[in-house]
Amino acid sequence: MKKFCALVMALVLTVLSAGCGGSSGASGEGEFAGQTLRVYNWGEYTGENLIANFEAATGARVVMDIFDSNEQMYIKVANGEAYDILVPSDYMIERLIQEDMLQPLDKSKLDCMDLLVDEVKGLPYDPNNDYSVPYFWGTVGIVYDTEKVSLEDLEAEGFNIFLNEKYKGDIYLYDSERDSFMMALKALGCSMNTSDQAELEAAYNWLLQCVNTMEPEIVTDEIIDSMAQGRKALGLIYSGDAAYIMSENPQMGFFMPESGTNLWSDAMVIPKNAENPDLAHAFINYVSSYEGAMDNSSYVGYTSPNKEVMEELSGEGGDYEGINAYTPQRDNANDEVFAYDEETRKVISELFSKVKIAASNAG
Amino acid sequence: MKKFSQLAIPYIVWAALMILLPLLLIILYAFTKPGNEFIQFSLTLEHFAKFFTDPDFLLVLWRSLVIAFKTTLICGVLGYPVAYFIARSNDRVRNILILAITLPMWINMLVRTYAWIGLLSDGGILQKLLGLLGFGEPKLLYTEGAVLLGMVYNFIPFMILQINTSLCKLDHSLLEASADLGADRFQTFWRVVFPLSLPGVVSGITLVFLPAVSSFFIPKLLGGGQYFLIGNVIENQFITVGEWNFGSAISLIMVMVMMLSMYAVRRLDRSGGREEDRL
Repeated sequence: MKKFCALVMALVLTVLSAGCGGSSGASGEGEFAGQTLRVYNWGEYTGENLIANFEAATGARVVMDIFDSNEQMYIKVANGEAYDILVPSDYMIERLIQEDMLQPLDKSKLDCMDLLVDEVKGLPYDPNNDYSVPYFWGTVGIVYDTEKVSLEDLEAEGFNIFLNEKYKGDIYLYDSERDSFMMALKALGCSMNTSDQAELEAAYNWLLQCVNTMEPEIVTDEIIDSMAQGRKALGLIYSGDAAYIMSENPQMGFFMPESGTNLWSDAMVIPKNAENPDLAHAFINYVSSYEGAMDNSSYVGYTSPNKEVMEELSGEGGDYEGINAYTPQRDNANDEVFAYDEETRKVISELFSKVKIAASNAG
Repeated sequence: MKKFSQLAIPYIVWAALMILLPLLLIILYAFTKPGNEFIQFSLTLEHFAKFFTDPDFLLVLWRSLVIAFKTTLICGVLGYPVAYFIARSNDRVRNILILAITLPMWINMLVRTYAWIGLLSDGGILQKLLGLLGFGEPKLLYTEGAVLLGMVYNFIPFMILQINTSLCKLDHSLLEASADLGADRFQTFWRVVFPLSLPGVVSGITLVFLPAVSSFFIPKLLGGGQYFLIGNVIENQFITVGEWNFGSAISLIMVMVMMLSMYAVRRLDRSGGREEDRL
């Protein structure tokens, strides 16, 4: 009996090890055959074939985990979870750099920087791109129904159109404290990175007036389908989502107020505790290359930092031809990039929770 | 016998670690200033003052109590007849019906609530159906009605099962006696059956009202971003704002509110019980 058991065990082990050997053997003639890359990225943020193509090209295996807020990502990484690539937003990269959680990129291993648009390089959160390579970028603006909202109103009022009672009950706000305060501060002509108590208080009152008089719906990603179906006249939105909406519904437009808006970017970084930085560099190169960037941007709809891809997609015959939301760059001195400031974040966070309570009581 | 009571030790340790310790931490947080070191902390009542001096917070608390009350009322009114019907069925039918009531509870509450999002959403099945029936296409999701529906749906099994249990325990000879003494069916129900089922109703109320008043994911999913109940305020303080002290203070206030309502319900139970004695 003992012998029989041993035989079975041996058989099982053989089969198991053959299985493992088989899978790594199959995926691998590439330079990184048998290695694993751990990526931590936003949901619905990669092209259809990006991962599969990268695996085929390098022989490596990619494990991708998903986060839905920068803060969620931060907590997991700060607790020691080891990833090779993270894709946080600007202000979070600033924080990670400040807290010494990233490793500098080895620029001799990167061949992609020249392919990228100038507007997304050298931004204040990482002035020399020592730590980060842009993944997607864009702005925040107003998506509007061109049949219901006149461009003159938008041009005259900017973000203050969200206080215009003509559109009462016909607006979406975005459920994000940073973007809501950005909108209010810009409407009031302040910097969105202000830490001035009086200005923050004024922005808070602006938002209170909005939720008390305008019956807004405070949503997140539902805004994409809802605006594509034309359910409301106005909404605060990320440019990439607006590009998708406009490609689905030509009646929708995208507007960026003269008073300025948030110029954001999400970028790839390599954390200090990465186990395979070489492979991570290869991944950054692949995502930034024409092939990878094209796959990403044409599928997800956010603006590619790769110049050639951006021009092809927005140019004649491209997926986003004539859609201004896809090419959000412009010269406006009022546009800003978010800076990381924990004290102000707390203040804004608390005020925004009170805005939501007020909205809830008003409803 | 001593051996048996020793078996409870793992549970006592577990309860102390998982229930008592967090509760003590909440109390500690609620009465201290933010940013304390582990050893040294300064006591304060400011979080409570902040809550009770702000009409917005009080209004949210009031709205949470109102919607929990409505939920409990609807669960009771709808649940009692169902429980009564189940209790009066024969064994086989009763087992099937009880299974039908408990079956959905095998699926996670969160998943079931997500399913309602699909049903209620704009352009979803229910809206289309109402449109076909000539009611226009009313907005269903992200309304107070949706939240109420979600709560009743999730909590009504607790009400039905509790009432059903107490109805099943009812001694049939009492009904025969009542009929013998000339009571009609209606009188029998109001004077005999209902008072005797009150303990079940009371525990049903407790099991529905308490989770309803503190529920946060149902209003979050079905009420949308601009629908806050007190549970959402607490969640928001912990997860987004990062004000653990204030969040703990609100939690503690909720514990008080719940204990008060439990006490009120117990009183109801006892007065019901006295009626039972009189019968």
